Formats: sequence, C-alpha cells, structure tokens
Amino acid sequence: MTEAKSSRMNSGHSRGAAGSLVDGVMRFGALPIILAICLVVFQLGNDRFLSPMNLTNMSQQMVFLLLIALGQMIVLVSGGFDLSVGAVVALTSVVSAKAMVAVMALFPENDALAIAAGFGTALAVGLVCGLINGIGVAVLKVNAFIVTLATASIFKGVTLVISQGLQVPGLPRTFVYQIGSGRILGLPTSLVMALPVVALVWLAMHHMRLGRYLYAIGSNLRSAVVAGVQVNRQLLAAYVICGTITAFSGWLLTARVSSGEPLLGGEFPLNSIAAAVIGGCSLRGGEGRVPGVILGVIFITVLANGMDLLRIGSNYQMIALGVVLVGAVVLDRYRAARAVR
Amino acid sequence: MNALAPQAESEAVVSLSAACKFYGSFAALKDVSLDLRRGEVHMLLGENGAGKSTLVSLLTGVNRLDGGDRFVRGRPAPDLRPSDARAAGIDAVLQDFSLAPALSVAENFGLGREPLRGGLLDHGALHRRTRAALDRLGLHLDPETRVETLSRAEQQLLEIARALDGVPGVLILDEPTAALSHDESERLFRIVDRLRAEGWAILYISHRMEEIRRLGDVVTILRDGRQTGHYRLSEVTNERMIADMVGREMDHFYPQSPHRPGPVLLETRDLRAGPVKGVSIRVRAGEVVGLGGLVGCGKAEVARAVFGLLPTESGRIVLDGQEIADPSPAGLLSRGLVYLPQDRRGEALALGRSIAENMQIEVLADPGYTRVGIVRAGRLRDLTAQLMQRLGIAPAVPGLAVGSLSGGNQQKVVLGRALSRARRVFIFDEPTAGVDVGARLDFYRQLERLVAEGAAVLLITSDLQELVHLAHRAYVMHEGHLVADLPKASLNEKTVVAHAFGDQTHQGNTQ
Repeated sequence: MTEAKSSRMNSGHSRGAAGSLVDGVMRFGALPIILAICLVVFQLGNDRFLSPMNLTNMSQQMVFLLLIALGQMIVLVSGGFDLSVGAVVALTSVVSAKAMVAVMALFPENDALAIAAGFGTALAVGLVCGLINGIGVAVLKVNAFIVTLATASIFKGVTLVISQGLQVPGLPRTFVYQIGSGRILGLPTSLVMALPVVALVWLAMHHMRLGRYLYAIGSNLRSAVVAGVQVNRQLLAAYVICGTITAFSGWLLTARVSSGEPLLGGEFPLNSIAAAVIGGCSLRGGEGRVPGVILGVIFITVLANGMDLLRIGSNYQMIALGVVLVGAVVLDRYRAARAVR
Repeated sequence: MNALAPQAESEAVVSLSAACKFYGSFAALKDVSLDLRRGEVHMLLGENGAGKSTLVSLLTGVNRLDGGDRFVRGRPAPDLRPSDARAAGIDAVLQDFSLAPALSVAENFGLGREPLRGGLLDHGALHRRTRAALDRLGLHLDPETRVETLSRAEQQLLEIARALDGVPGVLILDEPTAALSHDESERLFRIVDRLRAEGWAILYISHRMEEIRRLGDVVTILRDGRQTGHYRLSEVTNERMIADMVGREMDHFYPQSPHRPGPVLLETRDLRAGPVKGVSIRVRAGEVVGLGGLVGCGKAEVARAVFGLLPTESGRIVLDGQEIADPSPAGLLSRGLVYLPQDRRGEALALGRSIAENMQIEVLADPGYTRVGIVRAGRLRDLTAQLMQRLGIAPAVPGLAVGSLSGGNQQKVVLGRALSRARRVFIFDEPTAGVDVGARLDFYRQLERLVAEGAAVLLITSDLQELVHLAHRAYVMHEGHLVADLPKASLNEKTVVAHAFGDQTHQGNTQ
C-alpha cells in the first residue's frame, strides 16, 4: 500500500506509455509480467507444461519452498537473514525420521502415533534451531549473516553425527503414502497441510502486532527501540517462527522422499532468499508481503519445472537461477532509489 | 517587487531572470529573479519546499531552465552544465557533503583535479595546496587524516576549501550552521565576512534570523516557488520577512503560555551517565523547563539516560513520585513519559513505512487496539485520522511513506506517535532543528496546548531564542555539570551564553 501510494506520487513526473509501464512495475513489480512470459514460452516449448498433471506436479514441488520462503520473509522483513534453513531441513529430516522409527518399533501397528511423534519432534527441532539463531542475533547482537552461516555449519555437523551420514529408512507407510504423495480433493496432501501455515503467516505479518513490529524494526531498528518496541523479543520470535516453519517443511519433505535424508535441503538458503526477494522483500529489511513471496515461489518453481520440460540440464538451471536473483536484487535497488526520491 | 535598482551595485556573477522550473505541471519555481553580486552576501529564505533547492540547482547547472534566462558574468547561459558552472567559479556546499569518508583530506580536496607530474599523481604538490587552502580558513589539519575521523564542522570547512579552490566566483552555502556549535558558527561567519571582502558573491540559505541579520546584505524570500520578497536587510523588519515566508502576518512568534506549575512529575537526583556528571533537575506539571548549553555539554545525554537509552552510572530518576530503578523506553512510555530524539530520521522514524504505521507503532502495546492478537484496524484508522488532523499534516494521506515528507511533516508524525497514548511528561531534544518556520510555529502551538493541558515538558535546545522565549525557567549545562537554574526573570540570551561557556564574565559572544 505504501509503495502504491508513493509511486502514484511519482507518476506525475513520468508520462507516456513507457512511464505508465514503469509505474505498473513499481506498483506490482515486474514479476507478473515475467511470469506470464515464462508460462507462454514454456507452453510453446512443451505442450504438456500447462497440462493438469504437470500443474499438480508443480503444486507438489513448490510446497516445501513456499513454507521456507515465508519463514525467510519474516526474517528478511526484520532486517536479517536465515542461511541455516537448509541445514534445519536436513536435521529435522534425520531426527524426526529416527523418532518415527523408534515409536514404530514400540507400537508397530500405530502409524498415527509415530507420525504425531515425528511431527512433534520436527517442530521441536525447528524451535530449538530458531531459538539458537534468535539468541545469536537478538541477544548476542551478532550479524545475522554470520550467526546463521555458523549455525548452518553446526546443524549440518549434528545431522551427520546423528545419522552417521546414512539415510534413515523404514518410515510409517501412512506417512510416506498419505502425506508424502497422497491427494486430498485432487490437491497434494502436503499442500493442503501447508495452506493453514500460509494463512497464519499472512495474518501474523499483516494483521497482528508481531508483523507491525517486525516491519518497524527492519525499517529502522533504532526508531523501534525509541518507540518502545521490545526488539529482542520480536527478533527472537521471528527466528523461532522461521525455524519452526522450516522444520515443518523439512518434515513434509521427508515424507516425500520417504526416508530421513542427511543431505536434504542444500538448495533452500539460496532458493528461499531468491523467492522472497523476487517477491518484493528487501535485503535491507522492512519490505515484503506474503502475496508477493507466494508469487516469487511460483515463479521459481515454474522456472525449474519449465526448464526440466525443455530438457535444460540442472547445471544450466543453476546459472539461470543466479541470473534471476541478481536481476531481482537490481530491481529491488532501483525500486528503493525511486521510492526515496 | 523584483526590481532592485541595478545602478551603483557591483557586477553580478550569476543572475536569474524570471526563471521557471517545472516538474510535470507542478511549478517548483516560477518567475524568480535574482543577482548574485561580487562582495555581497545574499540570504535566501523560505520554508522547506519553497523552492530553495531548485533555485540552487538552476544556479549550479544541475537542472535545466524551463523558462526565463540565466546569465553568467553577463553572458546568457541557457544550457549551463555543472562542469561549466564549476569552471565559472560557481560552487555549492550543500547539507549532504560530497566527501569520500574513507579517503584522506588531501585526496578529497584534490578529487577530480589532482595535480600531475609526468602522468603520475604529484602528492607533494597536492599536500601543499591542500594545506594552504585549509590554513586560509583557519583549519590546521594533517592532509593525510582520513575524512571520516573529522568532526562535521571540519568536514564542512574542507568542503568550503574545495569550493574556494579555483576561480573566485560564487559560493552557495545551504544552512551551513545547522549542525555547528556556537563557536564553530562564529568561525564560519568570520570566513563569510572575509570572502565578501575578497569579492566573492555568496548565496546563503538559512532559517535563523540572527544569522540572516548578522551576515546578509540582501535577502530574497521564496514561498511555494514564487518570489515573495526581495529587500536590503537594512530596510526590512523580521516580521516582514517571516510574513513573506509563511504568507500570513505573525502576531506572536513565540507563544506565551502562563506559568502555572503543578506537582513535580519528573526529577533526576545527581544523575551520572556518560558525559553527564551529577545532574539534578525537576520538571513540574504545566511548565516548560529549558535545558541549554553548548553542543557536547551533556544536555542531550540527560534525556537519553532518563529514557533508558544510555546506561545510568549512579543517581536516581523519579517519575510522578515513583523511582524508576531500571529505565527502559517501553517501560517509560507505558508510564506516561515520552522522549522525542533529535535525530528524527535516524532514531524516530521508519522512513520506508507509512505515516499511519509510524504513528501507530507505539499504541499497539495498548490492549485496546488489539483483539485476540489481531490489530483493530478501524480504531487505529480513527486514531490516525484524529492525530493527523490535530497536527495538521499537509497531504492528509496516511499511506504516504514518511521518507517522502518534509522535515516539518516528519516531525509532526513523531509528535503524532508521542500523542497516541496518554502522556504527562514530554522530553523534546532539539525539536525545531531542521524544520521550516511554518512547522516550527505549528510545533510551538502544540507545545502551548500540551502545557495548558497540564503536561510537564523538558525542552532541550541549542536555539537560544527558543530557550529564552519558550521556557518558563531553564537549566544550563557546562561540561556535564548543571551550572545555572534560571527563573524567567533572569532568563536572557546573554546570561545563558555566559553560563554555557562556563564563566560569569559575559565573555561569550552573544550577538
């Protein structure tokens, strides 16, 4: 809303078709346009791209990144980063899988109990990881980049120690077949399970105190302090929420890959930041909205899926993603420069 | 109105005649004429947004002229570019310095015009030139010093030295004393005097009447992009200039609210924190208590310590009869004390967020504005509308980003936040620094209303007139100590300055 208003102010200066296009880009971002172009190009390149089957496929693929990118967004809005999301996914996967296997051994007939134990363990892992990140940033006042880079290494190490580098097989069948690859009303179960979380993040960021405080902190930490915001508490909450959502995603992903995987999730730090920034989050904090981030996630998923269908190799896909990310950051700076004027 | 008799006056270095500048259909400047003459200090007066910066940009060739004529040394210069202006000796020292903080004094001085010898930088020559130029301004610095270690006053002098290097012509100074102490300002005034004697034409932008009187030969006044007045300073009253600037006559510049002190609401007892060395003050309900002193005397830190932003070493803080053991912003705000910091952009506002969000941030702590954790948007909207109306925020658009507002409006947003909850004690730190005269008057009205409603106000200010006219009584600090507690009867500029300089002999220059 803020951006919309300020760009309307600017629109008096720039006239003509080019000007109004620029204004449109300022208001909604270039993302819808680029996304539309991608859809057309991929559909022309492979007519199975927009088939119902591939659309369901993409919705299944995007769930995990969607959750993590929303967690990442919360931290980005507060003016930080979370580079440990990938490591949290791997740790969650291994620990929750071990928990499920252990419960299965005690109650072989009771899948539900094992799944509940795995779910609870996953959330606990995320909470603890988020708390560690939060303490580093909010209490010890270390730069978020350094804190989460360090904890990423720690969590990764712990994962490998616990798992000894091995997969954890033998998960409950219900977990793997219902949650991992099942459908509810034609939608992937994991997507249905993720939607309430998306709604909660939207509520928290746009209609609750926490969100207001985080935008204020990310925009100017010192002014938030002077306005009586208890900055430490809010930052701690941001990292804990990010960690917990990430762990939830890691748990769903474990069902998808049907075992505890110590090497899971390496792509998430880059991809989640990319999706959030492409969706309008600022790396300087204080900017970004849930709908934008959802769009950013859809874009990255479409890009990956479309390139798969065009048989573009994963090495080239990495290059493409990097280019897209740089483009998004440049756009972000351009937008900031115009807004300040 | 525009026509000053041109005869008998020295030659104009730069002139604008009926100059216009449009942004779309918006006239930032319309039909403005002025001559910057050799050996003359030309004051430029106007509220924020009156067109002063646009005028400067036309003089320095940064902006294109959309109408009217521009002359440089008598020749038409319709397409003046910044490089042409610099070559013609037209230089501006703006509020945002153009220095590279990580480079040395000499490197900054020579930036873009380094002396060469055989294709290589001639460090010796650069140092000699830098040192000579700085010495001329009475600034004795090692050319190797990194610029970021200099004080703001020193950086400003370096900027001026750089502007003076080259062809003598025009020097434009944009509110140069805004961040300077009394001493530093005096030094700057002497430099301006000398440049005038040396035949420079000077355009000097200022909000401060005393400065305008002290330095100016002629004054041009802008309002809403129009030229509303042009006078010789010897022939115009302050009231006339202010009326031209704000567009209405001013009956009383400083409101005179009656002094009806109530119970003591804020008290410090032998407070020690950082540069504050044992300060005891009392502020009662229904009074404005001034706190004056030179920049760096510790007056700002008294407020920061009270508000919990600076750790207290010893002493006591008592709010409304209750001792505050562990002061914190959140705690004090909920107990009715609010502090408005001097650095509004850095410490009081989230510039990227909207007016509404900035005003509402504090009241969210109030349970009346949330229901099961959900923000009550309707109530917040009403509160914001009410505050915006009370404070007279000009474009009444709550969604506007605060960063796009003028200094005056930004201050109103901070005040709006402060008024969003019930308050009894206000601490203002340099509330009128960097705001234009109109907004300053608005602030004084608000202050008057607060005091009438029984608030206790601690007003920390370096503006002597403000201190003397607004405060019912005032403390003066010197090097961390409270050196005077002046009742209204003995509150005058001379006394305050004498105490601020730590002596009783009235040695201090009081103008």
